[in-house]
Amino acid sequence: MTLGGCAVTPDDGVTTLSFFQFKGEALEDFNRIIADFEAENPDIRVVQNQVADSETLIRTLLVKDKAPDVITLNANGGFGDLAEAGVFYDFSNEPVLRTINRAVQEILAELGNKEGEVNSLGYVNNANGVLYNQDIFAEQGLEIPETWDEFIAVCDALEAAGITPFYGTLGDAWTGMPSWNGIGAYAAQDGFFDELRAEGENVGPDSAVSFQKDFQDVMAKQAELFSYMQDGYRGQMYDDGNAAFARGESAMMLQGIWAVNQIKSINPDVNVAIFPYPVPEDPDDRILVSGVDVAVTMAKDTPHRAEALRFIDYLFEVGVIEDFAASQNMIPSVIGAELSDDAALQSVKPYFDEGRITGFIDHQVPPSIPLTPTIQQFLFDRNADATLSTLDNEWRKVAARTIPVTGDDK
Amino acid sequence: MSTLTEAVRTSTSGARNRRRAGRVRTSGSRALPAYYWMVWPAVIAFAAFHTIPVLVGIFFSFTNYAGYGDWSFVGLANYINLVKDDLVLAAYGFSFLFAIVATILTNVISLAIALGLNAKIRARNFWRGVYFVPYVLAILVIGYVFQFLFSNSLPKILSDIPLFRDNILTNPDWAWTAIVGLAVWQACAFSIIIYLSGLQTIPPELYEAASLDGASPWRQFGAITFPLISAFFTINVVLSLKSFLQVFDPIVALTNGGPGTSTESVTLLVFRGGFSGGEFAYQTANAVIFFIVITIVSLVQFRVLQRREADI
Repeated sequence: MTLGGCAVTPDDGVTTLSFFQFKGEALEDFNRIIADFEAENPDIRVVQNQVADSETLIRTLLVKDKAPDVITLNANGGFGDLAEAGVFYDFSNEPVLRTINRAVQEILAELGNKEGEVNSLGYVNNANGVLYNQDIFAEQGLEIPETWDEFIAVCDALEAAGITPFYGTLGDAWTGMPSWNGIGAYAAQDGFFDELRAEGENVGPDSAVSFQKDFQDVMAKQAELFSYMQDGYRGQMYDDGNAAFARGESAMMLQGIWAVNQIKSINPDVNVAIFPYPVPEDPDDRILVSGVDVAVTMAKDTPHRAEALRFIDYLFEVGVIEDFAASQNMIPSVIGAELSDDAALQSVKPYFDEGRITGFIDHQVPPSIPLTPTIQQFLFDRNADATLSTLDNEWRKVAARTIPVTGDDK
Repeated sequence: MSTLTEAVRTSTSGARNRRRAGRVRTSGSRALPAYYWMVWPAVIAFAAFHTIPVLVGIFFSFTNYAGYGDWSFVGLANYINLVKDDLVLAAYGFSFLFAIVATILTNVISLAIALGLNAKIRARNFWRGVYFVPYVLAILVIGYVFQFLFSNSLPKILSDIPLFRDNILTNPDWAWTAIVGLAVWQACAFSIIIYLSGLQTIPPELYEAASLDGASPWRQFGAITFPLISAFFTINVVLSLKSFLQVFDPIVALTNGGPGTSTESVTLLVFRGGFSGGEFAYQTANAVIFFIVITIVSLVQFRVLQRREADI
C-alpha cells in the first residue's frame, strides 16, 4: 500500500472503501450485501453513504475532488454528462463487463461515456409503462389494450363502471414525466434527438425536426390520459397515489415498476402488472421504455482500485444480483440471472427477451432545460403550443451557450 | 501553520509591549495590540470563507466549467447569453416582484405588531415571545407544514373558493402569493424585534406632552413615533429587501419553483442550473450579476432612505 492510502489503518491492514449509494429504498439490501462481502473479504471494509439528494451531493463531491471509491447512481442524462466529463473509471478491459446484457450497456452508452471508454456498468433495469390492477381488469372483463382506441375504450368502460381509470399525483412534478417518456418514445424513435442536436441553435417550427413539429400528437395523447384522472389530481402526491392504487381506488397508474414495491408494502395482496403505452397502429410495434435504474461505477483515481473492483465483481455475481433485483423489483442486467416470479416483472419479460426496449427520452434533454416543470405546467393548462415552443426555445438557448471543452487548444 | 506561529508571536510580543508601554499607554495614539489580534482572525476567516470563494467564482464565470472535469476560457460568452436568456429574466422579474411585495407587507405588519407589543398590554413579555417563535423554527420544517396546509387543509376548508380548492400552489398565477405568505410570516419576527428596540428609544415624555396638546394617536404616530424610528425603518427595509431578493427556502418547501417555472427565483435558478443542470460557470456568471444588482439596490435604498431621515 502506498502512502496515498490514507484510509488504511496501519495496525490491521484493512482498507476502507467509501461506497456512495443513491437509492434510499436499497439501503437495507446493500447493508446485507456489504455484510456478506466483508465476511468473505476480511481485509476490506465498506462504508455505505446514502443521502437524499444524491445527484447534487455527487456533483459537490466531484467539485471538491473527493470522489467516493465505488458509486451507484441512477443512469439519467446528468449521469451521462458526468461520464462524458471523464471522472469515472474505464471498465473496457474488466472481465465483469462481458457478463452484462449488451442492450443494457447500449442504453448507458447512449447517455454518454468518455470517448472510447466504458465508464459505468448497468446493474438493474426498470420498466416504465401503465401499471394496472389485474383484479379490477378481470372483474370488469377488460383485456390489456393493444391500440390507442382500445386504451381509451378501457378508460371509458372503467369510468362508466364508476372506477377511476388513473390516479394522478401532479403535486409531485416528476409524476407527469413517466407518461411523457412512454408516449414520447415512439415520436423519438428514428433519431429524433440526434437530428435535434444537429439542428442546435436553429430548432424551431420551421426546422427539419422540433418539438413543435413532432410532439403535437404526444402532447395530445398525454393530455387525453390526464382527463381520466380523479378529482384533485393536481395537488396529490406520489405516495398518496401509490396508497390509493394499492387500496384499489383506481384501475391504472401512469408509473413504472419502481412504484410496485411501495404499493405492495401497503397492500401485499394487490395484483399489479404493467403494459407499454399502446401508441402505434400496429400492436406489434409496441416498445417498452426501460432505464438503467442503478448503474455502478467507481472514481477514476481511487487509491483503492483493486479493492473497489473486488467489491464490484462481488455485486455482479449472479446470486447477489438476483437477490437484489428481486428485492428491488427490478430486472437484473447480468446474462443468465433470473427474474423474480412477481407478476409485474413477468409481464415485461417478453419485451426484454425480444429486445423491444428503449431508453427514457428525457435523458436526452439537457438537464439545464426545466423539462419536468414544463410538462407539469402543460398538464395543468393543456396548452400544447406554448409548451412545445418553450421546449424548442430552451433547446435553442442551451445549444447556443454550450461551448464544448476543446481540451488542448485555446 | 504560518498563521498560527504568527498569532503566537504577536501574542507574546504583545504581552511584552504592554508591560513596557504601561506608563505611556494614555499618551500613545495606537490601539492596544490585543485589539489587533481580536481583529485578525476575523479578517483571515472572512477572506478565506468569503472573499476568496467570491473571487474564484468570478474567475470561473469566464470559463465553461461544468463543475467537474475539464474547462477552457470563453470570455464574456456566459454574460452575453445570460442577458438573452428569458428564463433568467423571468427569474429576476419574479424575485423583484416577490421581494417588493414581501418587504412592504413585512414592514407594515411588523411595525403594527411592534406598536402593539410596545404598548402597556397584559402579559407583554409572553406576547413578545410568541411573536418571536417563527424566527426560531427551521424554515424547511415550517415550509412543509404550510405545504400540507395549502395542498390538503385549505382545499377542504375553503372549498367554495376555486383558487384554494384547486390548491393555490399549483396555480401558476397565484402560487407566489402563498410563498409571500410563508416568507412574511417568518420574516416578521425579526423585523418586530428591530422595531421594538427602536420604539423603546423614544422617551415617553414626548407622548405625554403630545397628548397634553391634544394630539390624536394617529398624529402622535406621524409626528413622533415614525420620525424617531426612521433609522430602524431604513435598516429594516434594506435588510428585508435584500433577504427577500435572495429567497430560496420557502420556495423549495412550497413549490420548488413550479408550476412550470412561475415561482423560480434567481437563487433557485442559480442553484438548480449550476448543480443539477451542470451549467456551473453559466450560473456562476448569473450569481455575479445578481451580487452586483443586490449591492446596487441596497446602496440606492440606503441613500434614498437616509436622506429622508436627515430631512426630519
